[in-house]
Amino acid sequence: MSENEATSKTLSEKIEELEKSTDWFMSEEFNLDEAVEKYKAVIGLAKELQKNLDDLQNEIEILDKDFQK
Amino acid sequence: MDEGLKFTPTDFAAVVNQSLEYGFSNILIEGEVASFKINQGKWVFFDLKDDNATVSCFMVLYQLRMPIEDGMKIIVKGTPKITKQGKFSFTVTALKPVGEGSIKKSFEILKKKLADEGLFDLSKKRKIPEYFTNLGVISSPAAAGYADFIKILNARWGGIKIKVAKTQVQGLDAPEQIIRAINYFNERGDVEVIAILRGGGLADDLACFNDEGLVRAVAASKIPIITGIGHEVDESLVDLAADRRASTPSNAAELLTPDRKDVLRVAKSRVADFYARLCSAIEAEKQSEYRSVERVSNIAKVKLDDFRKILENQIKTLEALNPDEVLRRGYSIITGKISPGDVVKITTFDKIINAEIKEVYERK
Repeated sequence: MSENEATSKTLSEKIEELEKSTDWFMSEEFNLDEAVEKYKAVIGLAKELQKNLDDLQNEIEILDKDFQK
Repeated sequence: MDEGLKFTPTDFAAVVNQSLEYGFSNILIEGEVASFKINQGKWVFFDLKDDNATVSCFMVLYQLRMPIEDGMKIIVKGTPKITKQGKFSFTVTALKPVGEGSIKKSFEILKKKLADEGLFDLSKKRKIPEYFTNLGVISSPAAAGYADFIKILNARWGGIKIKVAKTQVQGLDAPEQIIRAINYFNERGDVEVIAILRGGGLADDLACFNDEGLVRAVAASKIPIITGIGHEVDESLVDLAADRRASTPSNAAELLTPDRKDVLRVAKSRVADFYARLCSAIEAEKQSEYRSVERVSNIAKVKLDDFRKILENQIKTLEALNPDEVLRRGYSIITGKISPGDVVKITTFDKIINAEIKEVYERK
């Protein structure tokens, strides 16, 4: 996973990917050959997630539309 | 007599109505309902009275959004008019029950009606998405409930675009405004969830959330709706029709979003789990290789033992054939010609003897 791919994903996609990786690590599919690379990817993803969660703000827009009419 | 203004009855009624509309537009009257009736399935007539006076009221049925009956105390909004028949009437555009008893009675009547229609069925509830990025809020930004919601939402989660439809959240005009806001979001389709918010208040303040039209609009919304209205103990019909009911606006923020601290904690815990799993797998691999080496070593040892035994047997055999061993057992070796008078050499285990042959004869 490149850095660009990582940053372009939404928070929910990153969380979902983290969950999928957990499943893989605990599943029968787990094998040591792939595990090290996947572990590195998970570390990158977790760091990215932390940064996003620390930085992301909500945007509030008060609509101009008048709902009295 | 001739000096005053002169009108036809039609003109007079029009002028009076114009004056009444100008002077008493959208006024509120509070009183007790009497002689309530619905004519032709379209027109609603009732009197509004107190101890000293009675006002005849008229309204169209579709504007009757909360059930009323004789004896209930209500507040109505509208304009006084003179009818073509010259009768004074108050044309009602909105009404709501007031006082605990009337509110409760109206609530129960409408609740039963809408429940019988299936508006509150659990099977009709839509799922609120776990993660979303576009949220529609219907509330009054000046209200404390709205501020609490935004504060909690910002603390818990980020990356959400919040569109706020500014409406009244109490009073007779509130239901219609909230309905317009629900329709607005549904027509545009650019939010994934709608939150209807209003902080705590008196039963009268929250009565607008028992408006039949509003309850139907909430139930009909294509976009899932969460309500955070009043306090834990307050239950409105809008709450029952919504897809999710939060006890307060703050609770709505909690139900809508995960807490970023929890998400981070879980993510860190998962990374730690990965690491533990990886270490355990590496250890298992090492153990497996060690066992392989040990197995090969054991096989080699067994083979070596077998070989040693064979070798020992062979050595024993060879040792048994060693002439010295034969001599040790008491045998001897005689070399030389064997005829009477010849001298032969006799070798025993520890001696060599020269001996003369005396006699030779056949053994058998």
